[in-house]
Amino acid sequence: MKLKILPPHLRNKKRYLAFEVISETSINRDDVISIIWGALWDMYGSCGISQFDLWVIKIWNYDTSKKHVMKGILRCRREEVHSVRSIIPTITRFKGSRVVFHTLGISGSIHSAIKKFIYDKH
Amino acid sequence: MFFDLHVHESQELVDEVERLGYNGVLTFNHEEIKNKDYPDNLISLKNDSSFQIRRGLMIYSKNTADLKRKIQKSRNEDVLIVYGGDLKINRSACENPRVDIISHPYHGRRDCGINHISARKAAENEVAVELNIRYLLRSRPQNRYKVLGYYREILKLQRKFEFPLIITSGAHSIFELHTPHDIIALTNCFGMNEEEASFALSETPRNIIERRDLGSNALVKGARIIE
Repeated sequence: MKLKILPPHLRNKKRYLAFEVISETSINRDDVISIIWGALWDMYGSCGISQFDLWVIKIWNYDTSKKHVMKGILRCRREEVHSVRSIIPTITRFKGSRVVFHTLGISGSIHSAIKKFIYDKH
Repeated sequence: MFFDLHVHESQELVDEVERLGYNGVLTFNHEEIKNKDYPDNLISLKNDSSFQIRRGLMIYSKNTADLKRKIQKSRNEDVLIVYGGDLKINRSACENPRVDIISHPYHGRRDCGINHISARKAAENEVAVELNIRYLLRSRPQNRYKVLGYYREILKLQRKFEFPLIITSGAHSIFELHTPHDIIALTNCFGMNEEEASFALSETPRNIIERRDLGSNALVKGARIIE
């Protein structure tokens, strides 16, 4: 039987971090997840990661002929948003090719994160 | 207003810096500037936008005599950045008021390259010490803790002696550029608070650019010729 959902005041407060990825070679959703987890592992280890409540919500692909661009939304705990944001600039390479992550913005809901940072800035 | 005071000279990089939300950039050719004018592609950008572009001179020197000779040859308008690493060069750069920034004082060392004496001199002569994000990110993951330790040491001295401190990307390609807010979040890893990081990315670089814009009109600290 599924657990009954917690009342709102007992749930973890979440923040949604919109990001973009620019890479030299084409990458997919799984690659993005493994890049983020690798960087988190290097910086904070398993103890730190366990506090973040991290989840990659969705990834959009905006590849052009010149460069490979993806955008996505990452969920984390409200109290840890600064720590999660600090790993974004540490990502520099994936499988020998150069890659860079930029934070587009932070929002309180998936809907507003998509509206403000994913579709608006495209 | 955020500034990045250490970016390689390229049109693509300048465009990307502007897109990421900076208000100004200082470009370097990483060689001595032979052609003193701005390249054609940067002139148009420089003239028709509110985005500030300045050109700096990076000085690589073997010894202190060589450093002094190169500083004398430079123009008043150039932002001078001295590539440190050697303890004597670090000290000499901190003692020279003509130098604006000392870059990589920790390069190739097992310490941060700045001690209490250089820190005091840097504060007196308003020489900014650079924390280079590229140097941190290009270090191997198993050695990254050392670089973070150097930055922590510099920060400790900065809080005591209050010399100018700047954070730069040191980017050679668009893959090494990050948004100012991401960099502020990263600086948290070596103990910098948000206010200090914002100051190092905005006020201190702006003061350096303004000081150099005065150029030869500045006589001594606090006095300038009014035309």
